[in-house]
Order: sequence, then C-alpha cells, then structure tokens
Amino acid sequence: MSNLLVDVRELNLWYGKYKALDNINTSFTAGKCVVICGPSGSGKSSLLRCVNRLEEFQEGDVLFEGQSLRECTNIASLRSEIGMVFQHFELYPHMSILDNITLAPRYAKKKSKPDAEAHAYVLMERVGITDQALKYPAELSGGQQQRAAIARALALEPKLMLFDEPTSALDPEMIVEVLRVMRDLAMEGMAMLVVTHEMGFAREVSDEIIFMDEGKIIERKNTEDFFSNPNSKRVQDFLDRILVKI
Amino acid sequence: MALNYDFEWGLLLENPHKEWIIEGLAHTVGLSLTAWVIALIIGILIGTIRMTQSPLLRFIGTAYVEFFRNIPLLVQLFIWFFVFPLMLPNDLMFAWNRLPHVPLITALLALSLFTAARVAEHIRAGISSIPKGQFDAARSSGLTQVQMYRHVIIPYAFRVMIPTITSEFLTVFKNSALTLTIGVAEITGAAKAIEAWSFHGIEAYTVASVTYMTTTAIVVLFMSWLEHRLRIPGLIARK
Amino acid sequence: MDWNVIIVNLPFLMKGLWMSIKLAVLVICFAFPIACVMAVGRISNRLWIRYPSAIFVNIMRSNPLILIVFWFFFLVPILTGRPVGDFASVMIGFVVFFAAYFTEIIRSGIQSVGRNQIQAGLSTGLSYFQTMRMIVLPQALRNMIPALITECVIVFQGTTIAYVVGLREFLNSTFLVTERTLRPAELYIFAAIVYFIVCFAGSLLARQLEKRKVIT
Repeated sequence: MSNLLVDVRELNLWYGKYKALDNINTSFTAGKCVVICGPSGSGKSSLLRCVNRLEEFQEGDVLFEGQSLRECTNIASLRSEIGMVFQHFELYPHMSILDNITLAPRYAKKKSKPDAEAHAYVLMERVGITDQALKYPAELSGGQQQRAAIARALALEPKLMLFDEPTSALDPEMIVEVLRVMRDLAMEGMAMLVVTHEMGFAREVSDEIIFMDEGKIIERKNTEDFFSNPNSKRVQDFLDRILVKI
Repeated sequence: MALNYDFEWGLLLENPHKEWIIEGLAHTVGLSLTAWVIALIIGILIGTIRMTQSPLLRFIGTAYVEFFRNIPLLVQLFIWFFVFPLMLPNDLMFAWNRLPHVPLITALLALSLFTAARVAEHIRAGISSIPKGQFDAARSSGLTQVQMYRHVIIPYAFRVMIPTITSEFLTVFKNSALTLTIGVAEITGAAKAIEAWSFHGIEAYTVASVTYMTTTAIVVLFMSWLEHRLRIPGLIARK
Repeated sequence: MDWNVIIVNLPFLMKGLWMSIKLAVLVICFAFPIACVMAVGRISNRLWIRYPSAIFVNIMRSNPLILIVFWFFFLVPILTGRPVGDFASVMIGFVVFFAAYFTEIIRSGIQSVGRNQIQAGLSTGLSYFQTMRMIVLPQALRNMIPALITECVIVFQGTTIAYVVGLREFLNSTFLVTERTLRPAELYIFAAIVYFIVCFAGSLLARQLEKRKVIT
C-alpha cells in the first residue's frame, strides 16, 4: 500500500435531503485506471467530484496522498495536483485553446508564460490538436474540444486524472478519438478515475471496475473478474442491458 | 394633421429658444454620461458584494438593489432634493445649499444611485447565466477564487453583459428628463419651457424627441459594432 | 420628525393613492389589448403591418415617458378640437407609451413558443389568427406573466410622472401637502415607504411566478 493515492473514508454526501453517497469506503493507488459505472443517479459523478472537493461532502473524509481534504486549507493548490475532464468539456469560450491550456499552469502553478506554452504545445501534439492552438473552442469539433480539455488537465502535470463521462456528449465517430487518447494515457501509467458507460473501453483499458447503485459501492473487482463472474444480480442485469447495446 | 396649428420652425433658432436648446442638450448629455459612469462603478461594486460568501454583505447588496428599484425615480429625486439636505447636520446643510448647481448635483446623485441598482442586477444576471461547469473547470484546475473570477468568470460575463450595460446608458439618458422637476435645465425641460413661452409645442417637443431618438440610434449602432468586435469566434451572437 | 402630519392629512393622501392606482389599472387595461394586437403585427410576415408597428414601438421606447406625456398633453386637445380633460390626456399618453413596452414583452413571449406550434395549428386547418389566439397566445401568456407583472409595477411607478401636469395622484398629493405644512421629510419618506411596499410586493410576486415557471 505504499503507492496509495486516494483514500475515501466513510464518505457521506447529501443534496438537501437526498442522500447521494452512502458511507463510501474505498481507495485508489497510483498507476491504476479505475472505471466507475452504474445506472444514472447512482452517485458515480458525485464520488468523483468529492475527490477534488468540488462537492462539499458533509461526513467522512477523502485523503489525497495522506492529506485530508476536509482539513485542507489551501484546496486550490491541492486541486492543481489533480486534472479533471468534464462531460461538456467546459473549455473557456473566450480564450484560445492555447490560453485555455496555459491558464492554470501560469496562475495556479506560477509557471512562466514561455514554459507553460512550450509544455502546452507538447501536450497538444500528444492529443493531436496542434493545428487548433490559436482557435477558439467553439471553432472546434466536439472531439477536438474534449481532447483540448484533456490537454488542459494534463498541463497541471497531475498525479491523478478524473474523467466525468468524457464521451457522453460526443457523436460516435468522435468518441473513438477521445478514448484513444485516454487509452494511451492509461498505458503510460497515469492514475485515472473514469466515470463512463463505455464498457468496451472499461474492458480493454481499466485495471479495476467499481459498480455503484443508490449511492453505494455494490461491487469492486479486477476488470477480468467483473465481466466474467460478477457477484451481484444487479451488476449482471446492468451488464446484460448495456452489453446488448454494444 | 393638426387642424388649428401654425408651424413656425424658425422660432427654434431664435433666442432665447436657441440658447435653451443648446444648454438643454449639454445638460442631458453631460448628466447622463457622468451618471452612467458612476453607476457602472457603484453597480459593479454592489454586484460583486452580492456574489461573496458573506451573508451580511450579500444582504446589503440585495437590500440596496431592492430599495432603489422599488421606489419610483421621481420620488427618489424629491427625497434627495427636499429631504436629504434636512437630514444633514446644520453646518453641512449650509455648505450643501451654498454649492453651485445644487439641482444638477442632486440629479447626478439620484440618477447614479438609481442606475447602479439596475447595473448590479444586470451583473448578477450576467454572472448567473454562466454555466456552472465553467466554475467547476476553473476550480478543478487549482485556480483560487480571485483568479477564477479574474480570468474566467468576469471576462466571460463581461461579453454577455455588454448589450445590457450599454443599453443602460439609454435608460439613464431618458431618465435624466425627470430631473426637470427639480429645476435642471435639460432638453425636455427646455422643450417644455419653449412650449410654455411660445405655445409652439410641436416644434419644441420635436427637438427633444429627435435628440433622444438620434442618441438611441447612435448607441444601438455602436453597440452592434462593439458586439461584433468582441465576438468570440465560433459562437453565434447571443440575443 | 412629526409623523402627526401624515395622520392629519391621511384622507387627502389616500385619495391621491387611489388616483394612482386607478390610473395604473386603467392604463394596463387599455394598453394590454392594444399591445396584443401590435405584437402579432410585429411578427407578421406582411411588411406593411410589421414595419409600422416596429417603428411605433421603437419611437416610444426611445423617448422618455415624461416627454410623451408632454406631447400628448399638448396634442390631444389640438387633435380632438375640444378639451377632454387632463386625466384623459395623461391617460392616452400613458396608454400609448406602455403599449409599446407591453408589445415587446408579448412579442418575445410569442417567440418563446416556437414555430412548430404555429405549424401544428395551421396543419389542423385553423387560420393564422385562430392559431395565434387559441394556441400560441395562451402558452405565450404563461411564459411572460412574470415580465408582465414587473411591467405593471413599472406602470405604477410611472404614474408618478402625472405629477408634472398637475394631476392629483399620490406623489402630487404628497407634494401639495408639503407645500402647505412644510414637512417634506415625513411626507416624502411616507410616500417612499408606500411606493416601496406596493412595488416590492409586485416584484416578489413576479419572482415567485418566475420560479414556478421554471419547474413546469
């Protein structure tokens, strides 16, 4: 357990009276790609958003590299260690792609402008959008926007990447290009937490799969085991439904 | 159209009418421009206060906006003009009354504070029109609250708010007409005076109406030019 | 401060307030139907209908209310050729002015309903005006109720402008009492409070309905 990255302890989250996360205990290690799946409203995204405290949980705690998020007084600097990719990209529409990528490195990590830009070009090369550097988000296709958003998250040189349904808002032909970037990232040993319905990606890329329902973790298994012999009936039903579609 | 009416447009160029018109134009333009600028500053301040975490500051901001929006401007003008000096300590009151152009200063005060409330409301609406995900994206990348507003939220909101903030100038411009009631010689007041002096209301009011309509046209043209210039590439101009 | 002056003059002041309310209600009742017709004209495909209504709306919206009141106060007697009274002159000015603002609210309400509803209506054999009256306007009305209430509050605030032609509404009544009693502080603060209560209640109502609209 020396490379423990995130430790979730007795985490509870409510939206008003609605309990979104119900006593979650789990942990994530460096270098692993974990997929979180489950029906909508099961709390997958909420759990992900607790890991960088975008969601202010009421009970329990999340430890990132041993540092308690509850007690963390400089949450901004902790967040700059974790990259996040959103369903709707959330690129800043009034900035060029290059500026989108360099903003946080320059202001949150105090990098010089030339350094940040040099690094940005390396990342854009990696996700294949170098030609788009000076364009604005709305001029790009959805797939390009999402790859730009991944580059923006990677620019933090994060220890962990969070993906919140990164392909749900994309057309099928664009999903492939985004998943390819994510797969390469996983192969390089980036620690990743991915909320997704792409079970093909999960099967091929992830090391472990977490299945959630009604705010609880129902099952957590090695990817192979998860598909070959799921324990619970609910997981089986879920897989039957989702795999038929593929 | 008029049945019993002799048009006499030439009288507009005769004195004292001409002088009144020129003075009226100067007052209308000067007063509304100054009030608009002051209102922007105060409005941005109040708007920002309403975005903070502190419940007290938020309450003050909201109270300001509700207070100034729910009392008719004419009543506010009267209060600043008739009541406000009485509330001052004696020596201050004398100093106030000795100021040159008391009506003009009062008008500026009332118009600015009234318009600031409207500006603050536009700013709140502008900021709340920003998708929640933009805040998440900025926060998740480790920007501080101040950096987030400085680089992401305000530049974005600014573009959303340009049309409303610019057209707010037209609102002040028109509202400045009310100040004739406390004796500011602005353009509507000048027109009214010419009408009372000469009974040639149509000519007199035409001058005032043309002033407002031309200004509106110019500002609208300027606004579409500005919107075009600050347009974010790829985004369809929002209505 | 001597609040007694309010109590002594309350009947007179309340008569003024009643006049303000009467004026506002009448203006709304006349301006609204006119605006409904004009709003339909504003989005008509026929240019000879659309342009005149657009020009009218834009002229009204680029002039201050006080100037419109002066215009009508001067013009109505000339045009009608006989004295119709101050109240009628002011009323006509207010109705014409606010009809333009109501028109814009109704127009955007209609446009919020969307083309498909019109197509659906026409496809079942209703005429354009039947479609408007029975299908589009009822939906549009629901969407724009908050904006309409806000505008009604603005009409009520606008009635203060009748002061400039000496109509004895609430603000003018207050002014007359201050002239006689020389107690402007108490009286204007009282007036402000009364206006605030009425207008704030209207604003709250509009906001409440706005919230409800979002849910459905």
